[in-house]
Amino acid sequence: MIKTNDVCKVVKTSEGALVILEGITLEINQGESVAIVGASGSGKTTLLSLLAGLDSPSEGAIVLGGDQDITVMSEAQRAKLRGEMVGFVFQTFQLLSSLTALENVMLPGELRGDPKAEHNAKKLLDRVGLGHRLQHYPRQLSGGEQQRVAIARAFASNPKILFADEPTGNLDAKTGAKIIDLLFDLNADFGTTLVLVTHDARLASRCERSILIEAGQLVSEVLETSAATA
Amino acid sequence: MKLALKLLIRDWRGGELTLLLAALIIAVGTVTTITLFVDRLQQALLLESASFIAADRVISASRPIETALLARADEYNLQRSATVSFLSMVFSEERAQLAAVKAVDDGYPLRGKLIIADEPFGSGRPTGTGPQPGSVWMESRLFPSLDTRPGASVDVGALTLPIAEVLLKEPDRGGGFDTVAPRVIMHLSDVDGTEIIQPGSRVTYRYLFSGDEDNLKAWAASVRPDLPEDTRLYGVKEGAEEIGEALSKAERFLLLGGLLGVILAGVAIALAANRYAHRHFDHVAILKTLGATPARIDQIYLVIFIGLGLAATLIGAALGLIVQAAVAEVLRPLLPVALPAPTMKPVLLGLTTGMVCLLSFALPPLLTLRNADPVRVIRRDLDTANPSSLVAYGFGGLGTFGLMWWYSQDLRLTVLLFIGGLVAVSILGLLALLLVRSGRQVGLQAGSAWRLAVAGLQRRQLESALQILAFGLALMLLLTLFLVRTSLLSEWRNQIPADAPNHFAMNILPEERGEIRAFLDVAKVTVTPEYPMIRGRITQLNGVAVAELTRTDGGERGAPRLSSTRNLTAAAVLPKDNKILSGAWFSPTSQVSEVSVEAEFAKSNGLKLGDILVFEIEGRALSAEVTSVRSVAWDNLQPNFYLIFSPQMLIDFPSTFMTSFFLDADQKALLSPLLRQFPTMTVLEVDALIEQIRTIVAQVTLAVEFMLVLILMSGAMVLLASIQASLDERMKQFVILRTLGASNQLVRSSLALEFAVLGAFAGLLAALGAELTVYGLEREIFDLDYTPTPWLWALGPILGAGLISVIGMLATRRVLDQSPVAVLRDLA
Repeated sequence: MIKTNDVCKVVKTSEGALVILEGITLEINQGESVAIVGASGSGKTTLLSLLAGLDSPSEGAIVLGGDQDITVMSEAQRAKLRGEMVGFVFQTFQLLSSLTALENVMLPGELRGDPKAEHNAKKLLDRVGLGHRLQHYPRQLSGGEQQRVAIARAFASNPKILFADEPTGNLDAKTGAKIIDLLFDLNADFGTTLVLVTHDARLASRCERSILIEAGQLVSEVLETSAATA
Repeated sequence: MKLALKLLIRDWRGGELTLLLAALIIAVGTVTTITLFVDRLQQALLLESASFIAADRVISASRPIETALLARADEYNLQRSATVSFLSMVFSEERAQLAAVKAVDDGYPLRGKLIIADEPFGSGRPTGTGPQPGSVWMESRLFPSLDTRPGASVDVGALTLPIAEVLLKEPDRGGGFDTVAPRVIMHLSDVDGTEIIQPGSRVTYRYLFSGDEDNLKAWAASVRPDLPEDTRLYGVKEGAEEIGEALSKAERFLLLGGLLGVILAGVAIALAANRYAHRHFDHVAILKTLGATPARIDQIYLVIFIGLGLAATLIGAALGLIVQAAVAEVLRPLLPVALPAPTMKPVLLGLTTGMVCLLSFALPPLLTLRNADPVRVIRRDLDTANPSSLVAYGFGGLGTFGLMWWYSQDLRLTVLLFIGGLVAVSILGLLALLLVRSGRQVGLQAGSAWRLAVAGLQRRQLESALQILAFGLALMLLLTLFLVRTSLLSEWRNQIPADAPNHFAMNILPEERGEIRAFLDVAKVTVTPEYPMIRGRITQLNGVAVAELTRTDGGERGAPRLSSTRNLTAAAVLPKDNKILSGAWFSPTSQVSEVSVEAEFAKSNGLKLGDILVFEIEGRALSAEVTSVRSVAWDNLQPNFYLIFSPQMLIDFPSTFMTSFFLDADQKALLSPLLRQFPTMTVLEVDALIEQIRTIVAQVTLAVEFMLVLILMSGAMVLLASIQASLDERMKQFVILRTLGASNQLVRSSLALEFAVLGAFAGLLAALGAELTVYGLEREIFDLDYTPTPWLWALGPILGAGLISVIGMLATRRVLDQSPVAVLRDLA
């Protein structure tokens, strides 16, 4: 489902070129759940943004869905691909503040021109337990509720791959645990490939596999047993 | 399309569009209100002023004009009328007097009214037509001169006509001294019967036209090429110099005000649109992660832009219509004339201006949204993209230039103002940056609120400098407009002081001077200095006969000619409101033959210092050297002369004298005994004219004041938009401070101080900018005397600090009362 070959990311700074990622080669299979782990500043979030086509690598290739090399695509082509294949959940939720919960979840469907966008959005919000708060704005919701809206939105496009960046990073332990359950339940229901970046060991342990990044390099791939054997 | 509309509605509901929409509505509303109200006032002013020439346009000629040419006015739906003027002796049974006879047809006057009375110097009543055939109307002062009364008959040439009415005022009498002889009005059909007009007679034919302004312009363009050489076609501005200048200046002021209004509105829109774009950068990044392509983003924001533009321009235009109607209604009791109904043209102008403002100021920031990087959703710190760009500034500049050109219809003026503006903005921007940097020293040595305030400014150096620039420009434009307005109003007030002489006495014989002065002294009437007056003409220039000279200077038709017979005078003291432009005024001991020449006369006839002029006066030749060139305020209603001799030169000539004095309504009765006692003296009453000018100046003043209020509103909008634009950043700082335990008091004082420092810096720049701009404008555009305004340097910073901190604190008050978490959520 996701394949990278020798991916590098270098940025220019006032003190010269700074290598953020170097020689990343990996493969993630369809339906697999993978955690990218590592210390702060190791480059894991950059890797996620590259895999999701939000950013372009300096070198190397990234192929999604078997034949779509996103490194040779224009921003417009990548955006189209994101709309068709990819869903996102972010640490800071990234809901549009001027839209209600329902409108936020409808957005991916509306961008595709799906006439059933509203119907699907309501079903998803029901599924995440917010069927009674459809008309609330993000500022009227708690952090956990906002993240649930974000998860509903991520699944609204029926994505093949779901990228999550520290989905529990802004939440307390109890709420975080609930969000993890919800995320994995939906992931199982939709049969989505899940790639997430996290510091949270509990969250990483729920994934089938973890990838450890240190100083911009992939140092090991750890096969997790808990999820794989669950 | 559907999604974009939905987003537009959702944005509106979420309050994201309020400021942008408000800025747009105020921009369109202000422009529409200004153009509508000014259009109506201008129409009213032109109608009122048209009464100065009794028409909208006049063709003046020394020979009759072909009927076919005159009839062309009918094709343009114009009304027309004709008058014939000539000098003639008028006889009563006992006496004779030279009179200025005017014969008018039934249509006269096309604009304004005639004022008539039953008794000489009596109280008048208006009438819309002239005398019936077979009768005359005579001016009050003719009655004592001819020792006659209303109802008696006078001889005009071969006709004997009864005096039907006393004429107090005719609309197109004007104040010129070529019309000093007392007026007799008769019907045009009686002229032939008088047998006065013979081949070679000096007669002025005036053809009057009135109608729709567009038709008048088209008609004038069509007939002008076919008019004979010695005719003149003019409107009120050229025809009535007493008010023409005031009208032109008022028009220029309103134009300038309108321009400033548009620019201020543009700045407000640009600031609001920038803030909107800034806040939507993250939205766009999210939309992109959800699959929106850059083209889709463009599409979405174009629809939002058009929807917003349509709503704003329609609401703004409607608001403009309502506001100007309300203002006109409120001012109705104060306005001396009824305002004509508004036309659609200003509404269209307002709508177009609104759309151009939108295109050049709001669209560019919105279009930069397509460049928002989707990676911002994860790494906001990576990209602090600024929606402004060179393209955006380019659009704004182009739009401003286009609007300025469109409004002024003057490319040269536009280019000058635009380049001047660019230079000023660059210099002021640089100064603003320097001021922000220098603030550090002061801040570090001060208390904690001060330190926080200055640190806040320092942290966002460029933004602070830009904000100072925006505030400074808004304040500068307001101060400039205020200063120019004050100068204009004071000039107009000074033009005709309350006790300005409203009567001119001429043809005073030298031996009667003392007696007349004594007569007026007894009645406690103040008399101005006397001027000798004698008719004469120039025959030679530097030894060449004038008849052989051709006007090679390109002097306009209608400009004073060298060879005409003129009123000449001599004076030891430079007359009031005259200014020496080159050379020097006569020295008190001068025994040399010198002459001082009026600037326009000198220019159109190519005269310069050192030229020797030979005059023919009373059949004798008199030679004099041009030793000074003067400017003359022709609109001050004082005795003014093209040519003034040094004091001793006219002593040997049999000149008469002229003077002027002020009579109030109660003293009017003095005129009858005065004229009876000194029958050769001529008294010209200009009180009616002065009243007419005052009425018009009052209207113009009102228009100018109204404009200032509207521009103040636009200016306040800019300040508000500018403060709102930086609010998010300030609020983040506030949250951090509050979280760190800073008291509400400290946060408030540091915020207030920050606004005050911004305002004071902006005010300082505004004072500098306004002083320079006013200097340029008053000298080059308004032809006013520039006087420096030292108080501006104190007022600017105080006004800036006060205004910005009040508006700033009001704009942030609601947020400051919320908890840090609530603020953070709002900012998220």
